[in-house]
Amino acid sequence: MGQTTEAIPVRRAQSRLTLVAKLNSIGLSPPILACLALLALAPLFVKDEYILRLLVISLYFGSLAMTFDFTGGYINAVNFGFAAFVGLGAYAAALVAIHSTLGAWAGLLAGALITGLVGFFTGILTLPLRGIYVSLMSWFVGMTLMALATAMEGVTRGSRGLIVPSIYPNATTTAYLYILLGLFLVIYILLRLILRSPVGLAFRAIGQNYDAAQASGVDPVRYKLLNFTISSACAGLFGGFYAHYVGIVTPDVMGMGYTMEVMALSFIGGSGSLLGGVFAAFLLILCSIRSSA
Amino acid sequence: MDSTTAANLLLTGLLRGGLYALMAVGLALVFGVMNICHFAHGEYYVLGAYAAYFAFVTYGLNPIASIVIASLLSFVAGVITDKLLFAPLRKRSKGDWVINAFLLTAGLSVVLQNVYRQVFGMRYRGITSYWEASVEILGLTVSADRVIAFCIALLAIAVLWVFLQKTRTGRAIRGVSQDEQGAVLLGINLNSMHTLTFGLGSMLAGLGGASLLSLSPAYPYGGNKPLIASWFVVTIAGLGNVQGAVIAGFIVGMFESVSYFFLGPGWQEVASLGLLILLLLFKPTGLFGTQIKSVWER
Repeated sequence: MGQTTEAIPVRRAQSRLTLVAKLNSIGLSPPILACLALLALAPLFVKDEYILRLLVISLYFGSLAMTFDFTGGYINAVNFGFAAFVGLGAYAAALVAIHSTLGAWAGLLAGALITGLVGFFTGILTLPLRGIYVSLMSWFVGMTLMALATAMEGVTRGSRGLIVPSIYPNATTTAYLYILLGLFLVIYILLRLILRSPVGLAFRAIGQNYDAAQASGVDPVRYKLLNFTISSACAGLFGGFYAHYVGIVTPDVMGMGYTMEVMALSFIGGSGSLLGGVFAAFLLILCSIRSSA
Repeated sequence: MDSTTAANLLLTGLLRGGLYALMAVGLALVFGVMNICHFAHGEYYVLGAYAAYFAFVTYGLNPIASIVIASLLSFVAGVITDKLLFAPLRKRSKGDWVINAFLLTAGLSVVLQNVYRQVFGMRYRGITSYWEASVEILGLTVSADRVIAFCIALLAIAVLWVFLQKTRTGRAIRGVSQDEQGAVLLGINLNSMHTLTFGLGSMLAGLGGASLLSLSPAYPYGGNKPLIASWFVVTIAGLGNVQGAVIAGFIVGMFESVSYFFLGPGWQEVASLGLLILLLLFKPTGLFGTQIKSVWER
């Protein structure tokens, strides 16, 4: 009798431990969970609209930096046309929202799919290239996308931009924060699971030494394409969110300046760390209000 | 297409090409000698434009003096940049120099753009013309500014060519671009050659910005367009190929003016980018397919 009553708390503690371990394995260690909870609870305490908007923007740029890091930090290919991929997703989501009645989520999905497809083709274009030439090629692809968005006035209204309705009627900043937090969590866990699988190991092998990876049986073509497709699709998804959140998409969002910002965040956070860029985004953007206030 | 239009296209292409060549030569030099993919090149162009503006408008100097001062200032800025940023990085960097230096220039570009914005504000600072004259070429009237800017570009390229070919220092720079270790064995001071090269590259960019002041005003983000144009040129020529950059500059200038005429402003960009992607795909080493590290070598 005495034994069983003692065993129950032990078992409880064990199950708590396995829960922690499980959460850990999908990348949600206790400190990260605490940060997420803090962010999720923020709207309860912060009533200032400006601060809330800054939180959304920080999380948005953090998510982009994370997506960027998936390519830049792991297979060591700096995608210099990153902002254009984000913008492509934004345009796709905007067009679906304007011309169809499928709803905003279909638009986000469409953005992710189309951007993933373009990412796949960019991957094919960069296949014969190495190092800095990959960056150049993706930069040129990005600039082509931007030039197309400006030139195809019939579809995109050129530099006047597309006006996008909000994600659902009367969506508040708090609602956007939760939507973005949801998207971020899903993408983060997805990327994390991929990176912990053998595929992630292959990515790292390619990034560290292309030739050695190839020699030991890792097919660089397949993994490079896979990586480009996934990171572009994620970029497109966040781009779709951006379109709804800001309410207007112009070719400017595809410019090099945004790529530089995302790149800077991801490298400041530490390449190959996924979440580093997110922390960098919060730190830098929240610091910038301190200095401008 | 009548002969006047053809002459117009030819002239626009040539005048534009000369300045593209000037910008691209600086970029190619920096890549060829230092192995830096320079993404802050446009910021030195803007610096030159600002310096020329203040010298010409605020201090009322004559145009040539303003342009000379602007390019000297850009040279000094380049030297300072190298001593402050690239020299320490060179000391610490091992195998990943190319990507690190590239990221450093990307960051530098953001920093400089924002510094310009803070210091000079978001307004355009331009002049209508340096010289209130116009020249008649091929039956077309062209403002003297453009012709003189073109001549300055050609002169600068020629002087640089003589410098690299004939002087000891120029030969040393070419030596470094061919083989760093060999150059060290011959007693060439690598660090000072790198600094000098970066200064020269920045000077060429600043010269471009200063001599084009009447066409494109000084503006914090004004460096993006020339940067992209000169990267086009350098990619077409093959990275680091200085000689090719001159020819490719004219090719790009001509192609732009012709395709602008036939396709209009929007699609012209799409067309030239598409061509560039094809080129990278089939001949990543550029049209003049030399080895990457070569500065004015046959």
